[in-house]
Amino acid sequence: MSASISKLTGAGNYFEDFEVGAKLRHARGTTIGEVENQMLTKLVLNTADSHYNEHRMRSTQFGQRLVFGLVTGSVCIGLATQDTGENALAELGLTGIRFTSPVFHGDTLYAYSEVLEKRDADRADAGIVRFKHWGTKHDGTIVFEGERTVLIKRRSHWGNR
Amino acid sequence: MADPDFSQFKLVPKGHSFEEFHQGQVFEHHWGRTINAGDNSIFTTATLAHCPLYFNAEYARAHGHPDVVVNPMLVACTVVGISVEDLSEAGGPFLGINGLEFHRPVYPGDTLTARSTVISTRESASRGNFGIVTWRTEARNQRDELVISYERTNLVAKRRGAPQ
Repeated sequence: MSASISKLTGAGNYFEDFEVGAKLRHARGTTIGEVENQMLTKLVLNTADSHYNEHRMRSTQFGQRLVFGLVTGSVCIGLATQDTGENALAELGLTGIRFTSPVFHGDTLYAYSEVLEKRDADRADAGIVRFKHWGTKHDGTIVFEGERTVLIKRRSHWGNR
Repeated sequence: MADPDFSQFKLVPKGHSFEEFHQGQVFEHHWGRTINAGDNSIFTTATLAHCPLYFNAEYARAHGHPDVVVNPMLVACTVVGISVEDLSEAGGPFLGINGLEFHRPVYPGDTLTARSTVISTRESASRGNFGIVTWRTEARNQRDELVISYERTNLVAKRRGAPQ
C-alpha cells in the first residue's frame, strides 16, 4: 500500500506502551438507540424479540426493550478499542463476560480498562496483553465487565513500517 | 364470522424450556450465516471498533490478510445470535460467557455454522421458576475449521405451570 502503515494508527498504544496496573478511562461515550440495539441484534439473527418488540416488553418488569447483552459488550469493547487494540494483530479471547445491569434505549455507555498482564507471544514482533474492561452507563451503573486478551504489535518491529 | 378470529389461531412456539435440556445433548443450530463486507462495516462502525484491520483492506493486506478481517465481536455476536432460538429464546437472563477463544480470522464471504453441547443443568437456588444451563458452543467456517468456541450460561425459564 502506498502510505506507511505505521502512520495510520496511533504511536502510543504498541505492546511496549502498556504497563501492568495502568487504568484507562476511554474518552468517548455513545448513546444506545435503534442502530446499536435493534439493527445489530437483527443483523446477527438473534431471534429473541425482547430486544426488538417494544409492545410485548411494555408488559414485563422492564417496561421496554432490553439491549442485547452482546451489543452492550461489543459497544463497550468498541469504546476501548482505539486505546487497547488499534495496533492489534489479533483478538485472542474473552472470559468473565458479565452483564450486571440492564441497558435500555437512550442509555449512554462509557468504557474503562485496566492492564492485568503482559507476556511474550510465540512471535517476536508482538506481545500479548490481557485487559479487564468495564462498561458503565451515564449514571455510573456498571453494566458490563469482562477480560480480553489481545496480540499487540511491538513498536520495535512495526513502529517504522 | 367474516373476519378471522385470531384467538382461535394456535401459537407456533419458539425456544426450549429448562426441562428440555440434559447434559450431553447436542444442538446443531439453524441457518448459518455468511458474513459479508457490509455486515462487518456496519457492525464495526456502529460499535466504534477503531482498528483498521476491520475497515481498511490495504492495511489488512499489509498484515498478511487477503481482505479486511471480520471484527471478532461480530463473529461472537453472530454465533450467539444463531444459537438463541435453541438455547435462550424461551426466556431467562444471560449469566455469563467464559473461555471464549478466537481460533482463526474470519473474512467477508465466510459462512459460519454453530453447534452447542449442554455441559450442565441445575436448579436456581434463588429463583424457583428458573434453572441454570451451561452450554459449550463452537462455530466453524465453510472449510470446517474452528473459528470460535466459548461456554455460555443462562437462567432458563421452566415450563409454565411446572412445579417450583
